[in-house]
Amino acid sequence: MSNTHPLYQAVLTGDVRTAKAVTQEALAAGVPPQQLLDEQMVPAMDEVGRRFETHEYFVPELLLAARAMKGALEFIRPLLADSGAKSAGKVAIGTVKGDLHDIGKNLVLAMLEGGGFEIVDLGVDVPVEKFIAAVKEQGANIVAMSALLTTTMPSMKAAIAAFSEAGIRDKVKIMVGGAPVTQDFADEIGADGFSDNASGAVRLARTLVAN
Amino acid sequence: MPVGTDLVLHHKTDRAAILRDGARLGQVVAEAARRYQTPLAFPLMDLTVEKEALVTTLGGSSDEAATYHFHEPLGSDEYQRLLDGIRDVRTVRMAANSDALTFVARNTDLVPVGMSIGPFSLMTKLISDPITPIYMAGSGVTSDEDDEVKLVEQCLALAEALIARSLALQISAGAKAIFVCEPAANVAFISPKQINAGGDVFERYVMAPNLRLAAILRSADVDLVFHDCGELTDQMVREFTRLDPAIMSLGSSRCLWEDANLVPNSTVLYGNLPTKKFYSDSETPVEVVCNMTRELLAKMKAAEHPYILGSECDILAVPGSMDAILAKTEAFLSVKA
Repeated sequence: MSNTHPLYQAVLTGDVRTAKAVTQEALAAGVPPQQLLDEQMVPAMDEVGRRFETHEYFVPELLLAARAMKGALEFIRPLLADSGAKSAGKVAIGTVKGDLHDIGKNLVLAMLEGGGFEIVDLGVDVPVEKFIAAVKEQGANIVAMSALLTTTMPSMKAAIAAFSEAGIRDKVKIMVGGAPVTQDFADEIGADGFSDNASGAVRLARTLVAN
Repeated sequence: MPVGTDLVLHHKTDRAAILRDGARLGQVVAEAARRYQTPLAFPLMDLTVEKEALVTTLGGSSDEAATYHFHEPLGSDEYQRLLDGIRDVRTVRMAANSDALTFVARNTDLVPVGMSIGPFSLMTKLISDPITPIYMAGSGVTSDEDDEVKLVEQCLALAEALIARSLALQISAGAKAIFVCEPAANVAFISPKQINAGGDVFERYVMAPNLRLAAILRSADVDLVFHDCGELTDQMVREFTRLDPAIMSLGSSRCLWEDANLVPNSTVLYGNLPTKKFYSDSETPVEVVCNMTRELLAKMKAAEHPYILGSECDILAVPGSMDAILAKTEAFLSVKA
């Protein structure tokens, strides 16, 4: 049966204004924030991901949905923090050194956030030291690296090697993605996982955390 | 092919200096055309030149160009000042590219071909999140109603003005054809769902400025080579034919022998071997490249559409993989129809 809750629908259709309003109303009415997240927002983003994979949605619809999700999260996140609720995991995400492209990274970020993960957005052109610092200092348990350019893919390999050199390779799961990246390449450089699309990245992150 | 110029340039020891020296750059372009046996002197597919020009016109440095973004609409004075500055801009790299064209025109029997990013793609590089306001504009939100939409439209107008300037310089320098590259005009930036629902943003933001630029080229008797390696719908390809390009260069996500049904025979199809994957010997070994080439040549011949075999773009220089890339480039060029 389809979910007709207005928050679910607002996220699904990328209506940020309604998503914010409905969230405020629900919280004011005493609905627990975790319930809004688990029963409306995460399922809505899962459905967005499904539609993206089946080409019913495209990148713009996905980003609009993520914007609506983010709008609602502005009200929910502080309450979740106060209640001590645990996130699905903490992901440090960025486009690797030398690469300034951020669309793919932002898509994955949006979907992970929608999937209940805490995000440390390191931006673009990220040196390996920043990825390592996000793990050591901010407690990220997943690192997600993106590259659009074939020229910057070797930075992923270098980053994974740097995690080993820093002695924290076993403390973090590393996932990679981006247009030119393949499963073969991910295996070759010793990444823990690869996804060729944003909603697949959420499933991968959940699997990596579970393992 | 642009990939050839990139490969030749990467074998030079002083690449950075060559990029700023028109005569030497022209020599590299000519060397690439000779090496890969084409009469078309294709330049580097460097789509950063125009953004750098815009940022320096603003008073920024070249080093800032790659990461520079506008965050809010410009005031009318600043906007006008920028438009005025663009009309005369001629950065070192724009000058070198123009001088390279002149070198080719004066010293070789090759066809001098110019290069520019397209207005829509340049606009997307000027804003940190262009996709959402583009979608909003496609939903009917106007620039009067929303600052993000206003910024998109200002940046698009600036981009078009800058590219018109770039084309003028290249035409004056002797270009007989010019690439206009719109890799961002694709399904990631403009939703096909929205287009199918009647949204006009593809027409307003992609087609309208490109039609104006195509008219500039036509009036100067310079051919348009239209390049878009992004993921496209059939409808987008059909729309691009309205630009009446002499050559249409598409990315490896397209099936060119099927596109032959969408594109009139007056436009040569060009491409579209997946050079972005040439670095990988496991995924794209030489034999696979050769098989792809044979299939492309055979099916394009069967489609009876004018066709030039080539690569999808020139993002190539993967450290440690240059030999693999070069081997596959040589391999596909050696395949006979």
